[in-house]
Amino acid sequence: MAAVTAVKSPDTGPAVKEKRFYLDIKWVVILAIVAFLLIFEVLPMLYLVVRAFTADGGVSIHAFQRVYTYPMNWTALRNTVVTATCSMFLGVLIAFPLAWLVGRTNLYGKKFFRTLFVTTYMVPPYVGAMAWLRLLNPSVGTLNVFLKDLLHLAENPFNIYSVGGLVWVLTSFYYPYAFITISRAMEKMDPSLEEASKISGASPLKTLWTITLPMMAPSIVAAALLVFVSAGSCYGIPSIIGAPGQVHTVTTRIIDFVSIGNQEGLTDATTLAVFLMVIANVVLYVSNFVVGKKQYITVSGKSTRPNIVDLGRWRIAVTLLVVIFALIVVIIPFFSVAATSFTKNLGKPLLSFADGKLVTDNFVLRFWERVVTRESILNSALHSLVYAALSATIGIIISCVMAYLLQRTRVKFKSVPDFLITLGSGTPSVVIALGLIMTMSGRFGINIYNTMWIMIVAYLIKYLLMGMRTVVSAMSQIHPSLEEASLISGASWLRSFKDVTIPLIAPSVVAGWFLIFMPCFYELTMSTLLYSTYTKTLGIELFTYQTFHSQQTAAALATAILLLVIAANWLLNKLTKGEFSI
Amino acid sequence: MSTITIKQVTKAFGDVVVLKEFNEVFQDKEFITLLGPSGCGKTTMLRMIAGFEKPTSGEISIDGRVVSSEKTFVPPEKRDIGMVFQSYAVWPHMTVFDNVAYPLKIKKLDKATIKQKVDWILEAVHLSQYAQRIPSQLSGGQQQRVALGRALVAEPKLLLLDEPLSNLDAKLRESMRFEIKEIQKNFGISVVYVTHDQSEAMAMSDRVIVINRGVIQQIGTPIEIYRNPANQFVADFLGKINFIKGEVKNGRIELTGLGQSLPYDGPRTGKVVVAVRPENIDLSLDSGDLEGRISSMFYMGDVNDCRVDINGVQVRVIADSHSYDKLYGNEKIYLRVQEFLVYEDDGSDEHTKIVT
Repeated sequence: MAAVTAVKSPDTGPAVKEKRFYLDIKWVVILAIVAFLLIFEVLPMLYLVVRAFTADGGVSIHAFQRVYTYPMNWTALRNTVVTATCSMFLGVLIAFPLAWLVGRTNLYGKKFFRTLFVTTYMVPPYVGAMAWLRLLNPSVGTLNVFLKDLLHLAENPFNIYSVGGLVWVLTSFYYPYAFITISRAMEKMDPSLEEASKISGASPLKTLWTITLPMMAPSIVAAALLVFVSAGSCYGIPSIIGAPGQVHTVTTRIIDFVSIGNQEGLTDATTLAVFLMVIANVVLYVSNFVVGKKQYITVSGKSTRPNIVDLGRWRIAVTLLVVIFALIVVIIPFFSVAATSFTKNLGKPLLSFADGKLVTDNFVLRFWERVVTRESILNSALHSLVYAALSATIGIIISCVMAYLLQRTRVKFKSVPDFLITLGSGTPSVVIALGLIMTMSGRFGINIYNTMWIMIVAYLIKYLLMGMRTVVSAMSQIHPSLEEASLISGASWLRSFKDVTIPLIAPSVVAGWFLIFMPCFYELTMSTLLYSTYTKTLGIELFTYQTFHSQQTAAALATAILLLVIAANWLLNKLTKGEFSI
Repeated sequence: MSTITIKQVTKAFGDVVVLKEFNEVFQDKEFITLLGPSGCGKTTMLRMIAGFEKPTSGEISIDGRVVSSEKTFVPPEKRDIGMVFQSYAVWPHMTVFDNVAYPLKIKKLDKATIKQKVDWILEAVHLSQYAQRIPSQLSGGQQQRVALGRALVAEPKLLLLDEPLSNLDAKLRESMRFEIKEIQKNFGISVVYVTHDQSEAMAMSDRVIVINRGVIQQIGTPIEIYRNPANQFVADFLGKINFIKGEVKNGRIELTGLGQSLPYDGPRTGKVVVAVRPENIDLSLDSGDLEGRISSMFYMGDVNDCRVDINGVQVRVIADSHSYDKLYGNEKIYLRVQEFLVYEDDGSDEHTKIVT
C-alpha cells in the first residue's frame, strides 16, 4: 500500500485520498458480505431462539415445556441422538481402517477404492435410502429374500424400517465424510515420524498405536463430530426410511410441524429446531476451536513418499474384504436403484430365467421415458439447474473475495464473515430453512418467500463454505509478491485480483464452483420447506414420486442424478487437468 | 563394533535406476559421508542401510549379519540403528522426555533405568532443562538435538544422519558439526552421514564417498578427495576450480586460447584439461607462470576474490585479503600456479554438469 502511494505521487494530497479510497473498496466488500450474512443467517437464527422463548408474549420456557410433553417428540429426540451417535462410532470405525488401508498399505486397487469412497460423498443421501428400502424391505427386499433363501431362514432377516436400519443407512452415507477428513490428515502427516518410530525398534502395529493414532486423534475426533452432526441433521434418509416404520427424528418432526401450517405448529417446529441448532453449534465449536487448535502441524521434509506397510500374506484377504465392503455399501445399492428404474412390477425380479430363456417382460423403459418427457419433471430439473448455477456463481464470487481478505489483507474483523460462513455451514438445513421462512416473509421488511431467491439464499448459507475452503487453500499457496508486483505496476486492487490472482487460482475456482453446485442441484431438505408451486426442484420432484407415486420414476431420476455426479466429476477432472475431482 | 558391508547393491524405482552398483565396507567407528548433489542416490543408499528401502539387487550386512539380500530382509525396527531425519521427525504429541525415552520403552526397560538414561542423554545434547517441553515450544536447533538424543539413547553401534543440519541457520549449522563429531568420538560409534554440503563432509568425515547420478565417483579421506579428485566432477563439486583446456607439448601444456603455457612433466599426452583451484594461485606484480589483467575484485573480508582476464579467458583467483589494498583493478598481473591437476580431455563438459 505504502509502495503504491510512494511511487504514484510526488504531491501528497491526492496520495492520501487515493489510499483512503483503496481501503474503501475492501470495506465495502467486506461490509456487503457481512450484511448479507447478518440479515439472512444471524437474524433468522436469533429470531428462532427469541421466538422459542417468547411464544406466548412474555419470556418463558412455556413452548419448550409444551413441546416436550409429547411422548412422540421425546422419541424423536432420542432417535436422533441414538442414530447420530451410533452412525458416528460406526462411521469412524469403518473410515479409519479404510483410510489407513488406502493411504498406507499395499492394498490392491488403492486408487480405485479411494475414488469410489470419495465419490459417494457427492451422492445425495436419499438415493441411499431408496436403495436400502428396496434391498431390505421387510417383506419383499431383494437382499432380504436372497438371504432368506440362501440361509434357509424362516423369515426375512432384516427390517429396514427400524432404528437399526436408519443407523445403517446413515452410516453408509456419512462415513465418507470421516474417510475424507482422516485420509487428508494421514496424507499430510510427515512419513518420517513413523520411520523414526520404526528405527527406534517399534513394530508396525506398535507404530500405528503409539505414533499414527495419537497424532491423528484430533482429526479423528473432528471427523466423528462431523458425522454426528450430519447424521443428526439429515432429513432425506429418516423421511424415507423412518416414516413407514413410525421412526421419527427431530428433523422429520420439524417438517411435520411446519406442514401443519398454523402458529402452534410453527412454534413447536421452532422449539425443536432450537434444540438441534444448539447441539450442532456446540459440536461445531468443539470441533473448530478446541480440537482444531490441537491439530499437529507437521513440517514435511523431502521424503514425502509415505512408507507403505506391506500386508504380506494378508494382502489378498484384506483386499477381498474391502471389495466386499465396496460391493455392499456402494455398488449393490446404486445398482439396485438403477435396476428399479427399469422394473415394471416391483414384486418381481427385473430379469429372470424360465425354460432356459431370459424373461424380459418386467424390463421397461417407460419410467425413463416419463423422466425425459413429463413437463413437470423437466421444469423442476430446469429450476434446480438455474438455482444451483446461480448459487454456485454468487457463492464462488464471495469465496474469491473472502479468500483474498483472509489470505492477503490485515483488515480488522476479516474473520467475522469467515466465522459466520463456517457457522452457516454447520447449522442443520432444517434450521436454516425454518429461520428463513419465519423472517423473510415480510416480517422484517423483506419478503422473498415463495420466490427462487429464498432457496438460493438458503443454499448459499449452507454450502458456501465448501467453495470458500477450496479457494482459500489455493490462495494460501500463491506468494503475495505476485500480486504486489501487479500493484507496483500500477494496477488497482480489483484489477490485480482479476489479472493475476484469478488466473492462478482458476482450477480451484472451478472446483469450488462444482462443490457448491452439486449439493444445491439435488438439495432436498431446505427445498422441502421453501418451495412453492412455481419453484419446485428436482429433489422435491424425486421425493414426491418416491413417497406418493412411483418408486421407479424416482429411481430413474436418482440414477440420472448419479450419472450427472459422475459426469461432473469427470468434467471437473478434465477442466482442472487432474488437479481436482470431487 | 559395527562394520557395514555393501555388496553389489543397486536400486531402481520402476524403470528409473537411482543407484548403480555400490560396493564398499564401512569400518567400525568410522565416520562415513555420502556426498553428492540432490537426486544422486545418497539418501536412497542410507535408507537401504536403515531398512526403509529394499535394494533391487545385492546384499547389505551389518556386523556380519545379512540384513538385506535376495533371500533375507530384516525390517528397520530389528536393526538396532539410530537415525536422525532431515525433518527431525520429533513427535509433536510427546514431550521431549517421552520422545527420547521411546526407544527404551520399546525395549521394555524399567522406569528408573529409562529415567537415568534419558537424563544422561539429555545432558549430552544440552537439553536437560527442556525435558518437559513439547516440541512445538522448541526452536529448530533444539528439535534437532531431541532427534539426535532419541537416536543415541539406546546406544546403537551405528548412527545414520540424513542431512540433519540442512534446516538450520548457518551459525548453528557450523557449531552442530563439531557437536556431532564430538558425540561420535565420545560414544565410539560408526556414523553414516548424508549431505550435499561439501564443507560439512570435509569437516566431519573420516572418509567421503562422492556420488553422482547413482554412480560412486570417488572414495577417500577429505584430503584425498580435495587434493586429488578422481575426475572433473569431484574436482568441481568440492570447492572452487578453474578448468582450462590445453595440449601437452614438449614438457609443457599449451593453454588453448591463452597463448601461454605451464610446465608439465606428468604422464598425460595430447588434449587435456587443466584444473586449478583459485586458492592455489598467487598474484604477483613482477613475475609468474601466466600473465593477465585483473578484471574484477570482491573484498570478502577473509579473502580477496578476483577474476583475472588472460587473453579473454576469465580465471578466478582467491588471494590474501590484504592484496585488495595493494591492487587497483585493471592492472597487469602475473599468476604463480602452485598446484594444478591434469585430466584427459574427452571433448565433453558432461563431468562438471550437476544433474539435479
